[in-house]
Amino acid sequence: MAIGSAFRAFFALLGGNLPEDIAKEHGYIKASSVPKPAPPKPTFTPADGAVQLLSILQRDARLVDFLMEDISAYEDDQIGAAVRNVHQQSREALGRYVSLGPVIDGVEGDFTKAPSSSAGDFKLIGNVPASGKAPGGLLRHKGWKAEKIELPPLAQSQNLKLVAPAELEIE
Amino acid sequence: MIGIDLGTTNCALAYTDEAGAVQLFSIPQLVNPGEERAEPLLPSFLYLTGPNDFPAGTVTGPVAGVLAQKRGAENPGRLISSAKSWLSYAGVDRTAAILPFEAPEGVEKKSPVDASAAYLAHLKQAWEQSRKEPFADVLITVPASFDATARELTERAAALAGYPTPILLEEPQAAFYSWIERHPDWREHVEPGDVILVIDIGGGTTDFSLIRAKDENGNLVLDRVAVGDHILLGGDNIDLAIARTVEQTLKSKPDRVQFQSLWQQCRTAKENLLSNDAKTEEWPVTLLGKGTSLIGGTIKAKVLRSQIEGILLDGFLPFVDKDERPARRSAGLAEAGLPYAADPAFTRHLAAFLNGAGVYPNKVLFNGGVLKAPVVRQRILEQLQRWTSTPVEALQGEDLMHAVARGAAYYGEARKGKGIRIRGGVPKTYYIGIESAMPAVPGFRPPVKALAVAPFGMEEGTSVTLPAGREFSLVVGEPAEFRFFNSAKRNHDAAGEMIDDVGEDLVQMSPIEVTLSGDKGETVRVTLETIVTETGQLQVWCVAKDGRRWKLEFNVREKVKQQ
Repeated sequence: MAIGSAFRAFFALLGGNLPEDIAKEHGYIKASSVPKPAPPKPTFTPADGAVQLLSILQRDARLVDFLMEDISAYEDDQIGAAVRNVHQQSREALGRYVSLGPVIDGVEGDFTKAPSSSAGDFKLIGNVPASGKAPGGLLRHKGWKAEKIELPPLAQSQNLKLVAPAELEIE
Repeated sequence: MIGIDLGTTNCALAYTDEAGAVQLFSIPQLVNPGEERAEPLLPSFLYLTGPNDFPAGTVTGPVAGVLAQKRGAENPGRLISSAKSWLSYAGVDRTAAILPFEAPEGVEKKSPVDASAAYLAHLKQAWEQSRKEPFADVLITVPASFDATARELTERAAALAGYPTPILLEEPQAAFYSWIERHPDWREHVEPGDVILVIDIGGGTTDFSLIRAKDENGNLVLDRVAVGDHILLGGDNIDLAIARTVEQTLKSKPDRVQFQSLWQQCRTAKENLLSNDAKTEEWPVTLLGKGTSLIGGTIKAKVLRSQIEGILLDGFLPFVDKDERPARRSAGLAEAGLPYAADPAFTRHLAAFLNGAGVYPNKVLFNGGVLKAPVVRQRILEQLQRWTSTPVEALQGEDLMHAVARGAAYYGEARKGKGIRIRGGVPKTYYIGIESAMPAVPGFRPPVKALAVAPFGMEEGTSVTLPAGREFSLVVGEPAEFRFFNSAKRNHDAAGEMIDDVGEDLVQMSPIEVTLSGDKGETVRVTLETIVTETGQLQVWCVAKDGRRWKLEFNVREKVKQQ
């Protein structure tokens, strides 16, 4: 998968709809023999999907509040107390919408065969031969991939730039 | 068969599949604006959506479930909660639009019946959208303590939701059926002579029932022999008590959102610290900062297991004597609202119940999330043991969270003859008020006597005619008021028994005012006949010599009880 299409796929995954050509290429959907009528023009951009995921993580776990705060002045235990909370809720929120799994399901540190899939899914590091190819190597990082993404549908009427609404309390 | 647990804080739906096995149905519901998800429970919250509550185009009209609960925490003025408790409260007109009780002016309120109907309608719609089987053969569970009016209102809510006539089943019985369903060898654990106490402690309510096992011609039969009063006390009270205690230790006062979070975290802390495999003695509680400053405003605290046990054992489960009675509210003026139990001690309510029933159990079946904690179960068993010399043991292997819905679905099969049935019948003795015949005295209403019309335990599908010679004058053709009473304590009054002094044992139900058909001002000599229908509905008929019959509904049109 070329860099361009990888990005397209990633953001499309965030948005919940995978471009058909990429989906077919990776076997997510079966090629249909009956030609479908021309799909309506995509109304959402990849950025919309990215903002949606941010807004979910903010809504359910306040992750954006955490990332945007200047934490340099606080003691470690103050940060630690809050982070446990943010971590747990981010994890739950992420788990609800995105199933993440390793690219290579092996033991880190063990010698592992290089997968046959296209480059980009894995990269060779260290003393890489001139050919850029190797039968395998020590697994240093299993990698992550989104196995399933189930984001709620976006509505055209909503503010697609909104991450979290402001709150005004009536006393 | 479909079994519905129409709970005070959560609803659940279970069904029997083709093989007859009981399954739980995951209930699709809005969890965020524009996002639907199936969850095992439908929180019994109804949010009356107003303008600008949700992003444009996402949610319109009342919404039930998780989203309602979430948005309602932010804006309680539009949130209906505990509709079921209102349904059983005779102090208000339950068919009038009174909820949310403290809604600001301008919010279009709903009646407790309508709110209950909304949950039932949601369940029906969810079922029909995701399953092929028809929505038929429905059982709805009600607290054993629900009186005839509350049961009738539940049936009315079901009718409003477009249900076929449902069968009502008492929750503690449903919990017991569920236990039977889970234990094919249950007969090895229950023997003739056993008296089983079912303790059901939900989020907001507590319900007790006694079931007696006996031998009848070589067959084991189960009789439900007593039911308790409706007690508005539950697990939420415990969590709130813990949260209030922790709040005292905080450096700064939490705001509304933080207190909600504190309450939630105290529940988690309680569940974790009291669970069987708890490894720690304390649980951290973190209230994230207000606004966008998350770390800076974070408040840290901890809950100790000893703290929670102290609150539980001293406050909610103290050892009491068998003749102690729950404290009553003593304030002359109280805020209007639900009649929450004034005494938080579950054990004292239990003492009063068993004392009234006059029997003490030797087996206990627990139901409700609170009873997950071994310390709570242990305490209740110890308390029961202090009241009786027979050894008391708990029935093991129950499903604390979903038993009621599952048991209802199982009972549906049992009704078709595929399993044992608990013989229950009318859970209380019912009385009708009869005005004494006496000379008029200015300023005094003639005293009212109470005539027992339906004895405790009167079974479904039976009828009784009051003894011959008992004839009454019935006013027809003009509005007349009828007063009904019930008693969970006087279990031995036979039909036809007249009580001259309506004392504390009798609870007055909402009076009804009806105009029975007939000539204006006509007075007819009638006898009374009571029928309990196959679905457990209680009816009182007035029968005239000429064959005319009038049905007295418990809830034709409610009038608020004068308190």
